[in-house]
Order: sequence, then C-alpha cells, then structure tokens
Amino acid sequence: MELERIDTKRAYERIRERITILELAPGSVIDDGQLAENLGMGVVPVREALKLLAHENLVIITPRFGLYVADVNIPDLERLSEVRLALEGLSARLAAQRATADDITVLEALRTEQANTPAKDSRRLLDLDHKFHQAIARTTQNGYLADSLERLFGLSQRLWYLALPQLGFLPSAVEKHLELVEAIKVGDGDRAEQIMSSHVRDFCDQVRRVLAGR
Amino acid sequence: MEIEGEPSLVLGIDTGGTYTDAVLLEYETRRVVAAYKSLTTKRDLSIGIENVIEGIQIQDPAAIKMVSISTTLATNAIAEGKGKRVALLLIGYDPELISAFNMAGQLATPHYFFFEGGHDLYGREKQPLDLPAILARVNEIRGMVDAIALSSYFSPLNPDHENRAYRAIAGICDLPVVLGHQLSTKLGSVERATTAALNASLLAVLQDLMIAVRRAMERRHIDAPLMVVRGDGTLMSDEFAGRTPVETIHSGPAASAIGGRFLSRLDDALVVDVGGTTTDLALIEGGQVTVSEEGASVGQYKTSVKAANLYSMGLGGDSHITWGHEKTVQVGPERVTPLAYLAWLYPAVEAQLRALTMRTWSRATPDWLEYWFLLREPQDGEGGLSPSRDDRGRVLSPSLSQRERDLIELLRAGPQPVPDILKQLKVLRPAQAGVQELVRQEFVGKAGLTATDLMHIEGRYAVWNAEASAMAWKAFCQFYFIDPVELRQQVWTQMSEMIVHAIVTFLSGRPLHLSDRQRCLDGADEDMGRWFFYNSLYHAHPHLETSLRLCRPIIGIGAPAGIFLPDVARILHTELILPEHHGVANAVGAIAGSVMVEEELLVYPRLSHDGLEVLGYYVQAYDERREFEELDDALANARALSRERAVGAAIRSGASSPEVTMEELTDGLDTYRIRAKAVGNPRLAR
Repeated sequence: MELERIDTKRAYERIRERITILELAPGSVIDDGQLAENLGMGVVPVREALKLLAHENLVIITPRFGLYVADVNIPDLERLSEVRLALEGLSARLAAQRATADDITVLEALRTEQANTPAKDSRRLLDLDHKFHQAIARTTQNGYLADSLERLFGLSQRLWYLALPQLGFLPSAVEKHLELVEAIKVGDGDRAEQIMSSHVRDFCDQVRRVLAGR
Repeated sequence: MEIEGEPSLVLGIDTGGTYTDAVLLEYETRRVVAAYKSLTTKRDLSIGIENVIEGIQIQDPAAIKMVSISTTLATNAIAEGKGKRVALLLIGYDPELISAFNMAGQLATPHYFFFEGGHDLYGREKQPLDLPAILARVNEIRGMVDAIALSSYFSPLNPDHENRAYRAIAGICDLPVVLGHQLSTKLGSVERATTAALNASLLAVLQDLMIAVRRAMERRHIDAPLMVVRGDGTLMSDEFAGRTPVETIHSGPAASAIGGRFLSRLDDALVVDVGGTTTDLALIEGGQVTVSEEGASVGQYKTSVKAANLYSMGLGGDSHITWGHEKTVQVGPERVTPLAYLAWLYPAVEAQLRALTMRTWSRATPDWLEYWFLLREPQDGEGGLSPSRDDRGRVLSPSLSQRERDLIELLRAGPQPVPDILKQLKVLRPAQAGVQELVRQEFVGKAGLTATDLMHIEGRYAVWNAEASAMAWKAFCQFYFIDPVELRQQVWTQMSEMIVHAIVTFLSGRPLHLSDRQRCLDGADEDMGRWFFYNSLYHAHPHLETSLRLCRPIIGIGAPAGIFLPDVARILHTELILPEHHGVANAVGAIAGSVMVEEELLVYPRLSHDGLEVLGYYVQAYDERREFEELDDALANARALSRERAVGAAIRSGASSPEVTMEELTDGLDTYRIRAKAVGNPRLAR
C-alpha cells in the first residue's frame, strides 16, 4: 500500500486550481518538468498529481501525444449539463427533506457572506457559489451523490471561468440562493428542486451562448 | 536473523542546535556506511538538511529503503514564535476562569474566542452549541489567520460540539481546522486547547520542511518512504507528521537516546548526549526511552503531547568559557564559535592572539578574546533598506538599521575583536553595537574561548588551529594570574561537576541548588544536601565517606563525550560505554526507532438526568460512540476496538507486522481508559 505523500497532495491542489481558473489553458500540452519547476515542487509529486487529475477528467493522458489539459467545447457542456441538471435537482430535493438545524446555519452563513461580497470580487463569489452547492450536497447525507456532484462541479466551474469575462457574476444567482435556502428551511422539496434546476439551466444557457460566440 | 539479498540501507538525519547530521546505515547489521555533518541553519532548517542529503556519500540511491528525520523545527518555531497565525475557538470554556488563573498566556495564540457549548464530565451537553456565533466569527477573521483550532469542554468524552463546529466551518472556508479531541484523550482543558493551537500553527511549517526534504531526496534519486521522529523517539510517516506536527516536539534528544541504545545494544542505561550547545540526558529502561506522562512543555506552554522524559542543560563543546562573578572560571550557558575554528578559517586571528600575549597586563583584558565575524551577506530583499516579506506580505525580517549595516561593513574585512569593533563604531558597550538582531538572523557570529579550544590545546581533539587556542588560553590565564594547566583542570572539574549535578537532579527528580563548594565543605553552609553532594565528589571529610553510585551504565553520545564523560562515570562509580560512531548516534536514532501508534478509548457511565442512576456505559472512540448496558460488555468492546484501530493505524503509518500491548487505567468516577499500543519495525520497502 502506497502511503499518501504530503507533497503529492499539495501538488494536486495547486494544479487543480490552475486548471480550474484557466491558468493552464484547456487543450494545452503539459510539460511535467516545467510545471514542477513553476510550482517549486519535485517532478515525482507532480506526476502523481497529474494521474489523479486524469482520473477526474481534467487532464488527458494519451500514449502518443503525451499529457494535456482537457479541452472544453459545446458537446461536452451539453452532456455535463444533462447530468448536473438531474443530480443538482435531486440534491436540492433531498436537502430540503433532510436538513438539520446545523445545515441551515451553514447555508445562511454562506448566503450572508455572499450578500456582503462586492460584485467585482468574482473569484470570491465563485468560491462561495461552489461552497453553497457543496453545502447542499452534504446536507443530503448521501456521500455518493456529493462525490459525483463535486467532480461535475470541478468540470463545470472551468466553463464558468471561461465565460466570466463576457458574463460577469450573475446577480440573479444570489437571489436564487436566497429562495433556495428558504425552501430548504421549510422542507419544501418540490420547490427546492425546481429552483435548483432552473439555476443550473440558466447557467448552462449563458455559458453556451458565450462558447458559441467564440 | 538471516539476511537475504542486498542489505537494506536507511538514511537518518538529525537537526541539532549546532550541527545537522546524516548517517547512512545498513539496517540489519547496524553498520554505519557513511556519515556527513553540516552546520544547522536556524533561519531555515531545510537548507542544512538539503546540504547533508546532497553531501553524504551514496553509492546506490536506489538501495535506500527509508529516510527518517528528527527535527527541532517544531520546538524552534514555537520558542521563536515563527508558527503560523491561529484562531483558537474555545467552546464551553469559562472566560472568567481563564483570566482568573491567568491562563490566557498559556493558549499559544493571541486570537482566542469563547463560545457557548461544551459537555460535563459525564459527557452530557452542558449548554447548546452556538453555531451561528462561531460561523459569524470565522467569516470575520478568515483573512487574518492561517489556521483554526477548536477545543470544546470535555471533548474527549463527547466530541460532538467540536465535530459539529468543524463540519460547519469546513463548509464555509478552506482554512485547515485542528480538533482538540483528535490530539489528546486527556481531560485537561487548557493543555488540550494549547496543543490544538500549537498544532494548527505548525501544520504548514512542518509540511514545508517535508516538501523540501522530499525535493532534496528526489534530486539525489532517492525514492523511499519518509518518516519523522516523534518526541518519544518512535516514528511516524510523513503523512501522519503533516497532520500532527506537534508530536515532533523534543524529537531530537529522544532520537539521540534511541540511537545510543541501538548502537550499544544495551536495554537499560543512562544516555548522556554531549552536543555543541547542550548536554541532554535520557533514561533507557527495557529497551525504551522513558516517557513523561505529564505532557511536554516548550517555553511557557504546557501541552498534552507525550514526549521522552529528558533533561537538558546549557553545556557543550562550544560553551563559552568566561570569568564568573564568583571569581572562578565559568562554562556556558552561551554557545560561541571556538577560536580554534575561527583562526582556522581566518589565519590573521592567530597572529592577533599571539600579539595579545605580548601586551602589557592592562591592555590585554579578556574581552580581546571575543570576536565577531560575518557569517553570510544579507541577500536581496533581506537586510536591505526595506524589510523582507513573505508571499503574503508579512514582514519576515525587519530592515537593518544604519548601525547594523555599519557593523556588517566593518566585518567584511574579516573577524575582529570586540574592543576594536566598539572603538570603530564609537560605542562603549557591546549591547549598543546592534549585534543581537544580526546574530539572531545568522548574519554575524560570535567567537570566543570554548571547551573545544582546551581540547585542542591538550591534543585530544585537534582538527582546527590549536596554536590559536593555546595563545588565547595563555592570554586568559596571564590576566587572572593562574597557572594554565591548573586552570584547565578547573574547567574540566567544573564541567564534570555540572554534568553529575544534572544527572542527580534528573534521576532523583529533586532540585539541588548549588552554591560555593568550599563554603559547603568547610561547614559555613549548613545545607546537608549540598554537603553530601560535594563530599561525594571530592571526599573532603576526614571521617565520613559518602559516594554516589549510578546503577546503570552511561552511554556517551556526541563527539566530545569521550572527553567529558570518563570523569563523570568515575565519580558515579559506573561504566562508560562509548559505542562506535557515537558521534553520529543522534542521526542513527532517527532511523533506529520503531513505528508506534497508540489508541486510547474512554469508557464511562451514562447517567440519568438527575445524575443519581447509572443507565449504562459509553465507549468513546474518538468520533464514534457506542452504548452498552453492562460495563463488562463495554470494556470488552473497547479492548477489541482499540486493538484493531492501533494495528490499522500502525500499518498505515509504515510498520511491518506490529505487535500490540494493552493497558487499562481508571481515573476514578467509574471512568476507564483502554489503551492499545501497536509497535513494529519500519517497513523497508519502496
């Protein structure tokens, strides 16, 4: 059994972030030696981390062309949206049925923080949005669902960064979150599912428009 | 034991106060294949560690099956306040009690906050947890700290509030969070809070070090598991160390003791490790370093971390020799660079010292034997006109003052005696010359007369410039009108006396405050303990003979051990054992320890609401709690569970076929501690 190496974990986190925020552009070739140099890390942990990321579909490893960052395109977006639409909706419904007082406290703290964050701080707002979705997934108390959503969110977040320059952060999203927390609080599963689904659909529509216009 | 195929090579590294040592060892035969020494770089320990990994002779890096380090990093970072910024959230603690007993300074961070919640000593909720207040506070301080520590009242009995707070905090921010109940099952609430705060402040510090070590290993093509020594001398994998850095407190001295045992193959002995800066004592019983049940202290902080029972004194080969207030020669506690070494680096120093011996008495005062010299040049961004900052803009080192820069400029020409420096800087006292900060940042070093110099004079250890030492000693003795041979003897006597005194204090557990020897022996001082001590050393009484006898042999460790310890062993009527390679036993100790994991579960009664009736028993296994009607069932379950968990964790931590020993304690109140200890040799694999 290989022990989890502390440097692999750190390399994984750093590379994942660079891919998500597009500092490593979609479709670009990865030179693992160069990347290790840039990160100030060893080559071994960087290679291990890239294997983990390949598992998450963020990095593609081919025998002939080497390593590159997974590309993004409209067909990918559509397939991703199909699954997210179904699962995020389910997540919101289960959350409304199963939320504890602690879960509600966390959701409200995130909502307050979101309301207090200035619109120009898009990095922070995206981060809060991610945490909001994670918090709802955790509230379902279904680990399989939370894991699946986390992986999909990682892929989807990259799309958002791609669209960000044209899109800006969506003020409507903040309102949606407010309504969603209310629905979960009163245990209205139907309403929670409906709000979440339309939230995800809006997002996909907007990103599609930006991608099509490229 | 039969050895198949190639021998397993292991690389041990120890960062001490003065030197960083590395040793390459054949594990099965205990043969030292190579050793390498480099100066410890206190400002960044990874530099010294990288130097030894790059410097040591390795024929075949692929043959190395394990690398292990013992490091003073945690201890140093705490003592010097170099840990990361931590917010400590105290749940169910009484703020008035903390301030009434003046314990706020104990908490190891200025950022601590009180919240409602916590449990009582039967694990019952004392107050509901105020989660909204915790989350509001976390959002407020998120940008001002690097980590969060949580400690809830009686959390080892019931960690529910710590866990709930943790889950909620992890939901709103990405800061690392440390939970008190995962570090200690002891009930002392302040020690647990301190331990959690220190652990949180050390997380990134130790992780950075391990990543630096991993990189250095990679550059030398060493691909092997990396282990870290704990404060009790056992080993843990780097994965565990990255989570519980606080357990590495005092790992250096513990490793020395283990190394001494490993090389000497003795299972019961007193280990005396004479280093450059300190001499450390530890006791080996039944093949293990004795452990202090009270928790390790660092500076003012008391923790609940287990560490070897150690005694450390400020006496070593590089202890400064000066003339004390009591008109006798004094050794230590300050550590300086030996003049023999300085003159070896800078030959001009020898000539200066020779000239000093020719001067008239009034112009040859002993302060001429003290030198300051430049250790390194300030790099870009440090010590310039602007302060250096880390990547978050915090000040690492303040900018140098004009005086400090003048001093560096002056020392670029070479080492100089302190009176000359003061004259050129136009100040009267050394304290005015601005040297303290420069010494702390390792720009400037101090040199002077040391025990190492006396060893050079006697030819017992003479690797540097013995002539310079002889000149310095001559000047020193001339000034005080004492015969050089006699005064040298006085130094050795005093050092033996100090070490014997430390041994007696350490083993008896009783303080013995020494005063003037002659007054004690003459009867002017009526204290019996002191008289007994001195009479046993010097046999002064005409009719009463007293003596001290140590029933265990002494294992001597460290390069100067062979010189300092024979007298000590003679006085204590015991045998001195100097194993081969005792000079690098500290680094050997880094690899000689076993992998150990201890799991302690608590069993305690479940009481009715009025507290009068026992309804059943809980087994509290960290985050998991099980409930039983009968005590026997609860205890049986706790035994099985703790055993299973200890074995699992030991294997995960890199042990091969660990063996388990069980221990049960009760602290009254119908509460039981079931402890399983799994110990195994490190798994030497790729």
